[in-house]
Amino acid sequence: METAPPILSPADVPALIEANGLTKLYGDFPAVTDLSFSVRPGEVIGLVGPNGAGKTTTLRCLSGIIPMTRGSVRICGRDLATETIEAKRRVAFFSDEPRLFDYLTVEQHLNFTARIYGVANYRELARSLLEELEIADKTDKLPGELSRGMKQKLAIACGLLHSPEVIFFDEPLTGLDPIGIRRMKDSILKRSRAGAAILISSHLLHLLEEVCSHVLILKNGRKIIDGTLDEVRQIFSEQSGDASLEEIFFRATGESKVEP
Amino acid sequence: MIAGALFYYQRHWWQNRLLTRVRRLRQPKYLMGAIVGGLYFYWYFIRNLGRGGRVAFSSPEHRDMVESIAALVLLGMVVLAWIWPHARAALAFTEAEVAFLFPAPISRRTLIHFKLLKSQAVILLSAVFITLIGRSWGGGSFFIRLLGWWVVFATLNLHLLGSSFVLTKLMDRGLSNWLRRVIVLGTVGAVAAGIVLWLYHTMPPRPDVAEGSTDLSWLRPYASRVLHAGPLPYLLFPFRLVVAPYFAENAGQFLIALGPALIVLGLHYWWVMRSDVTFEEASVELSRKMAERVAAVRSGNWHAAQKKKVRRDPFQLRSTGHPAIGLFWKNLISAGNMVTTRVWLSLVWAAVIAGLILQSKARQGGGLSEGLAYFALVLVGLSLFWGPQMLRNDLRQDLPATDVLKMFPMPGWQVVLGEVLAPAAILAAIQWLLLLLALFLFPDHFGDNPFPARTRFSFALAAAIVLPCVDLIAIVIPNAVVLFFPAWFQLGKETPRGFETMGQQLILLFGQLLILALSLAPAAAVFTVVFFLTSRVFPIAWSVLPGSLGTAAVLLTEAGLFIMGLGGVFERFDLSEEVLHQG
Repeated sequence: METAPPILSPADVPALIEANGLTKLYGDFPAVTDLSFSVRPGEVIGLVGPNGAGKTTTLRCLSGIIPMTRGSVRICGRDLATETIEAKRRVAFFSDEPRLFDYLTVEQHLNFTARIYGVANYRELARSLLEELEIADKTDKLPGELSRGMKQKLAIACGLLHSPEVIFFDEPLTGLDPIGIRRMKDSILKRSRAGAAILISSHLLHLLEEVCSHVLILKNGRKIIDGTLDEVRQIFSEQSGDASLEEIFFRATGESKVEP
Repeated sequence: MIAGALFYYQRHWWQNRLLTRVRRLRQPKYLMGAIVGGLYFYWYFIRNLGRGGRVAFSSPEHRDMVESIAALVLLGMVVLAWIWPHARAALAFTEAEVAFLFPAPISRRTLIHFKLLKSQAVILLSAVFITLIGRSWGGGSFFIRLLGWWVVFATLNLHLLGSSFVLTKLMDRGLSNWLRRVIVLGTVGAVAAGIVLWLYHTMPPRPDVAEGSTDLSWLRPYASRVLHAGPLPYLLFPFRLVVAPYFAENAGQFLIALGPALIVLGLHYWWVMRSDVTFEEASVELSRKMAERVAAVRSGNWHAAQKKKVRRDPFQLRSTGHPAIGLFWKNLISAGNMVTTRVWLSLVWAAVIAGLILQSKARQGGGLSEGLAYFALVLVGLSLFWGPQMLRNDLRQDLPATDVLKMFPMPGWQVVLGEVLAPAAILAAIQWLLLLLALFLFPDHFGDNPFPARTRFSFALAAAIVLPCVDLIAIVIPNAVVLFFPAWFQLGKETPRGFETMGQQLILLFGQLLILALSLAPAAAVFTVVFFLTSRVFPIAWSVLPGSLGTAAVLLTEAGLFIMGLGGVFERFDLSEEVLHQG
């Protein structure tokens, strides 16, 4: 007789991103200090904090671009320091400025990315991604011939080609028009529903509020708080639990809000 | 008030640049570079300045002729300025200048003045540089030549600006670029035809020179007479006024020549200031393009600075397989459309056919093929030195994109291997082509000794085996330098320039050559031993082959070890630290 699989509570689902005591020093300057948190499948965490809080450094350490000074990071259960390749195979990182090779066309970018990540039948995947991002008619264009928004879309198509389980966005909405912002939000939610763990750094708090299930607030490289939006609201609301993320941000970081 | 603000900006711009550079010398790497660069500059350029002016002309007629030729060159440049341009007049401003000055309450006239003042700094620096480089071009003292160059550059600069204003006005009146070119070329053609006709009637007769004579001593006096006959002196007159101060041999001559030159300069200034042409829109576009180009060059990505075209895939890249091949493929694309299998096969065919034709000519008594064969071999030798400096489609190009490379799920050694393969392969392909040419063109004797085809083939094959391995090491070395001393390369937005950079480059070049020599030593030793042993059994023609295989094995092992080691360095590489510690 077959036994029914156990019902897992959210806390039992293994985290796709686990950071423990993540610390990054630039010389003597601590950019990130003793940061610990985890992200489970389907969760979208908004990483917020004032300028210089260490958001980008955190994302770059988590994606293996720069080495951390202390601590550990596990991506899909793989230690980023010892099982680097297997961990990176599951990650996509989108920087605020799309990083493209200016001598490769859109099609060549996708072909190159497919080879690097070993995506067997990439053509079908690439076509559907390009159609989703509405740049299917630009395959023979060089990045120099694309608008900033289109470059962003190409970077996203390349990043999503290998179906990453963990996605990091650093200011993903910079330079996008309202339609692009809407599509980007839809795209983030679609990947999250598909089970990806997503970490987004942005200053656009009202937009984060629409896509994030969780929030992590940093200041001076240290974690102020993390949790679901409701949990954080409860902690920082003075009377009721309906404070906006913007109000939470100002209270958590101790910054004074500019009155209109 | 406005002029004061613009002057303030310019003064502080130069002052802050200088201060940044001086502060940078607190870092030993820049101090060392500055010392070496300064010594090099002193040794080659400054040392001879104190010895006084050198009179480079053998006679006044000689000087006169060179002056006429210089005026002719200037005339050619001026004609080109009226034919070549196709865009509207645009003054080159930086993006910041556009953002601050264009919306400010500044008149167009003041903007032109500011631009002219700003260009004076560049003109003066160019004049100093070219005076130092071309010490022996002309007579007079250092300062006479310096001021002479300044007059030429300043006048040319004003003429280019004035002509661009006139061309813009013509465009605004509906004259297309092509029609304008036809008119200018027609005018130039008509003037040239008139001159030819005039010359035909007034030109001095050519001296009798024996057929086939190699004595060209008649040429100089004859050219001098031609330049002074007919209409040419009249045509060149205004241009001679501009170049005359440069050719002055003493202060008196210089002062006499300077007066008319300054009048020409003043007339140009009056012409430019009187022009009322809208240049703002084109200047905004130009400043944007300039900013992109400067950013690309400063980040070491010269390719990005060039106008880009879609480049064909060098080969069909499958989506699965060794990922390093992906980087190889990408870098071949960045190297340009010349790097495709079809192009190289065409070149090989061309080399074979040209070789066969020239060889058959050689058998009929021609000596060209032998010279070409030696030339091809010299090029092979030079390619080992210049190839790794010129072919930079590797980490030197991709270092600004380290973020992207570090995200790839590849061990460091695969990234390094993928990066260095493309320039090594291109260099090897060029060398193989040259070897093929040399193989076909080399004579069947070497001095008095016979040098039969099978020996030539065997030597060429041995070289073809060894050279790619040497190339791989020669390319790996500068890539290692990039990873070990990234701050010495062009990283970040502000690229260091000046003596310190020149000195750093000299140190790096010397270091690279030293490491290459040390890397080749064990391979050379293996070749010597294997060749010595096998030549006792086989003829020399065939003994080079086992020697070359042994050499290739040693070199490949060395290259493999270098690449593995560099892979580890790449994995630990933290660009953020490097940028942080840059001056």
